[in-house]
Amino acid sequence: MVNLGDMPDKLYDVVVVGSGAGGGTLASQLARSGADVLVLEGGPKIDTRTDFNTHGLPFQFPNRSIPVMKPGKPGMDSERTRGVGGKTLTWNAVALRLSQRDFKGRRHDGAGEDWPVDYHEMAPYYERIEREVGVCGNPDHLEDMPDGIFLPPVPMKCTDEIIKAGAAKLGVKVIHVRKATLSRASHTRPACHFCGNCMAGCDVVAKYNSADVQMYPAIKAGKPLTIRPNSIVHELAVASDGPKVSEVRYFDRETRAEGAARGKIVVVACACAQSVALLLMSKSPAFPTGLANSSGELGRNFIPHITCGLSAFLEDRIGIHAVNDEGFLDHAYIPSFMHDRQRDYPRSFGYQFNYQNHRAVGWARNIKGMGKSYKEAVKARYPAYINITGYMEMTPNPDSYIDLDEKVKDLHGLPSARRHWKLSDDDWKRFNDVREWGRRILESSKAEILSVAEKPTTNHEIGGCRMGRDPKQSILNPYNQAHDVPNLYVVDASAFPSSSEKNPTLTIMAMASRAADHIADRLKKGEV
Amino acid sequence: MASYSTDRRDALKIISAIGATCAYPFAADELYGQSAEHHHESAPAAPLPAEPSFFNPVQFRMVTRIADLIIPATDTPGAVGAGVPMYIDMVVGKNKAQQKLVTEGLEALSKKNFMDLTEDGQLAILRPLCEAADSGEASFFQTLKNLTADGYYTSQIGLIQELGYAGNTALAEFPTCMHEH
Repeated sequence: MVNLGDMPDKLYDVVVVGSGAGGGTLASQLARSGADVLVLEGGPKIDTRTDFNTHGLPFQFPNRSIPVMKPGKPGMDSERTRGVGGKTLTWNAVALRLSQRDFKGRRHDGAGEDWPVDYHEMAPYYERIEREVGVCGNPDHLEDMPDGIFLPPVPMKCTDEIIKAGAAKLGVKVIHVRKATLSRASHTRPACHFCGNCMAGCDVVAKYNSADVQMYPAIKAGKPLTIRPNSIVHELAVASDGPKVSEVRYFDRETRAEGAARGKIVVVACACAQSVALLLMSKSPAFPTGLANSSGELGRNFIPHITCGLSAFLEDRIGIHAVNDEGFLDHAYIPSFMHDRQRDYPRSFGYQFNYQNHRAVGWARNIKGMGKSYKEAVKARYPAYINITGYMEMTPNPDSYIDLDEKVKDLHGLPSARRHWKLSDDDWKRFNDVREWGRRILESSKAEILSVAEKPTTNHEIGGCRMGRDPKQSILNPYNQAHDVPNLYVVDASAFPSSSEKNPTLTIMAMASRAADHIADRLKKGEV
Repeated sequence: MASYSTDRRDALKIISAIGATCAYPFAADELYGQSAEHHHESAPAAPLPAEPSFFNPVQFRMVTRIADLIIPATDTPGAVGAGVPMYIDMVVGKNKAQQKLVTEGLEALSKKNFMDLTEDGQLAILRPLCEAADSGEASFFQTLKNLTADGYYTSQIGLIQELGYAGNTALAEFPTCMHEH
């Protein structure tokens, strides 16, 4: 087997597959603790300062669609968001702590699963991450949305203030969004300059990404961290002498040359469905249905966030002069309010707002009429346009799972990960409430409603490789370590036993940091 | 067009002190990405082709006229001034389903001698089509209206001169809303 110039016989302390929020956090923390770490990333090295069309405008491109990457820059336009830094390069940076209710949802309302850890065990890790990467937000003292260590919040937009006043009439709170974007410069990174295109890189790294904020600084500081880009891992081979990952097999994305890496510990962090797919592809006589799958739960309990978009024009702003309020996209958030109200379904939902910029005006199609009056109607509504998106938790059901499609190969000839999801009756009741409350909040804010999504959509892939105390019911133990395979860890949202309605990334990072402590401890004790 | 470019290159002082309220122990390995100022270069529009590549001259004149009626020039240029007909030609040229719909629609208008009619006569034909399209009927007119809206409001004229898009700049602070709500 060709080894692509790496040291073929080297045994790393830790081999990490994937370099996003989970992999990047864990790899950099372990390297700083002295462990010798190799990160295998399926995508290329991407320079967030120069490679994205962060400041692109539609008329610069003949088809008026702004490509994510600049010409000749590979990576994020592929079917999987691969690149060193993973999805943190293009995420929107909402960084929310989960609450005790989120970790113990079953205890709260009897449905779904509890996490095998609770808020108090996670809180120090949230704090560590917030201090490490910088999260802005306002301390709102909400039990269901615990405060973090915050940089000052960014002021709400005028549209947010209008919705805040409208929602207040219904007893619904609108708070400052909490984001892993700097509202004040740090020693190493500038503050956000509010160009309004956060999901197309960030050309000053005011927004956290795992490459520039965690991994590259560790390498610059001389820590033993090696990143191998363009390395598509397709199999975790199992040793013949016990349940142990012996080799991480990959091929080069460009040359197709095959390689393998060895680590005392192997950590999978490929972003939910891809992590599940990798374990499913890693079949062996010891694990005929996929690695670490003695429970048969691998791929099951897929619980992505279910979303519902609403768009409207705020009457107070129709006809005003347009100003620059792109900001850093969403500045406000509606935290869950139904979890302690009367309802006939378990779990809850929240809303994000305005996380689209005003560079494209797709809604202009939907304004009625033609001619001068049409043109005036679009112009008048331009400063008034808003969108809010409900994010709701779903609970696991047998029809929602991830498997491999052996017939449909991905770009690299590997079986593609197939996502199946279906709402239960309870999920539908909750979804209908997301629509209804969204409409009520907009109406209470004096909005001309343009659209309310009728069909659910998904975002934030979660579940499929859940943690738990019972090896018959879960893949991972409470430290993200596989029950069946002691040198295997999975640290991304696939490990979540329940999803909360809150954005998952900060929890992925906190969980990765906790798993890294566990690994460092085991390495120190010579247990591996 | 002149309103957008160098005059919006607001410079931003990027290096500033950490807020006194914030305990913030970054490892100071290196000053990543820091520079004293952050400029956004002005964005030139991609040039439009000189000639349509899909529509024949008769069809292109009709598309141009319809786009002009959907978004006319007012105190700002309209669809024609923003080069929208050429955008429509480009999009339709790449979409077989639209090609059939649009060419058949144009053919139907030709039979009514559309281009020889007065503006009122042309509007008398188009307005009912517009109303049907607005109520969700998939049609020739809806396709042209969608393409006209897309092309116009993503053009430099439509987005910046007409709508007043003012983003994509560097601000030192995000302004607090001073209205009463």
